[in-house]
Amino acid sequence: MEIPYNVELREDTGLYNSKLGIWLFLASEIMLFGGLFSAYILLRTGAPVWPPIGEHGSILHMLKETIPHATFNTVVLIFSSVTMVMAWVSLKQKDLSKYKVYLGTTILCAIIFLVVKYFEYSHKIHEGFVPSHDTYMALYFTLTGLHGLHIIGGIIVLAYLLGPGISMWSSEPERFTNRIEIVGLYWHFVDLVWIFLFPTLYLLN
Amino acid sequence: MSNTNMTHHIANYRKVFIFLLIGTAITVWASYMEFNVQNSIAGAIFVGLTIAFIKGYLVAANFMHLNSEKKMIYWILLLTIFFLILLLFIPLLWDLNNMSNY
Repeated sequence: MEIPYNVELREDTGLYNSKLGIWLFLASEIMLFGGLFSAYILLRTGAPVWPPIGEHGSILHMLKETIPHATFNTVVLIFSSVTMVMAWVSLKQKDLSKYKVYLGTTILCAIIFLVVKYFEYSHKIHEGFVPSHDTYMALYFTLTGLHGLHIIGGIIVLAYLLGPGISMWSSEPERFTNRIEIVGLYWHFVDLVWIFLFPTLYLLN
Repeated sequence: MSNTNMTHHIANYRKVFIFLLIGTAITVWASYMEFNVQNSIAGAIFVGLTIAFIKGYLVAANFMHLNSEKKMIYWILLLTIFFLILLLFIPLLWDLNNMSNY
């Protein structure tokens, strides 16, 4: 049996089903990250000193050192959002070769983001700033770790749509274009979360 | 969507990209500034979060096409934001309740 409303719009919602599905999923994601941001605000406002003073020296000094990495990652993620939306535009223009270039660039940006994050984590752990060090570090690793998992999930889906999943283009081009639109919505959400994580965790301390 | 429409979209995405880069630069700059609000970083937090909200709006409105979406999506998001605000305020209400016991 064929799944209905893959391409055509439902009369009651005015949407195709997977678009409604991804927005409901993103709503749950807003609550997930919202809960963690709520924890951050409460712990920060309740702390006598922020970031807490730990045994491995000044967290503030360590944070200042990592601002260039985080800024670079912010630019990379913003750029990946542009290439993601351009991949969708390319399909709308029926240009598969451009789509491949843009989606490939998006995946490359995501990998660069994770590599920079790896070096950042290594530096922090090497200096003794592990999650158990203090409340700030616990929040830092929880929030950036969860965000990183979302990036990894995104890479897997994007790689599928660039690899085996691309075969749908020849049989159902409109459905494939819709798939790229909804995976794009997810990817922009991941970028959106980072836009708030970046000042919260790195700059405003 | 027609090709002309898409050309318009592409020009818009370019503009948004540049605005997002400028916003990022201002956020980083603001974090180094001394706003001198009662010897605290309240000024930097205000500037930083305001820019983050503007950047968030730009991404949601343009890349996620929320500036021209169906009503159903707006209702889902409104409901989510309502519960998000509730989630943020529940601990505060609990705190106020505790304070009355002192």
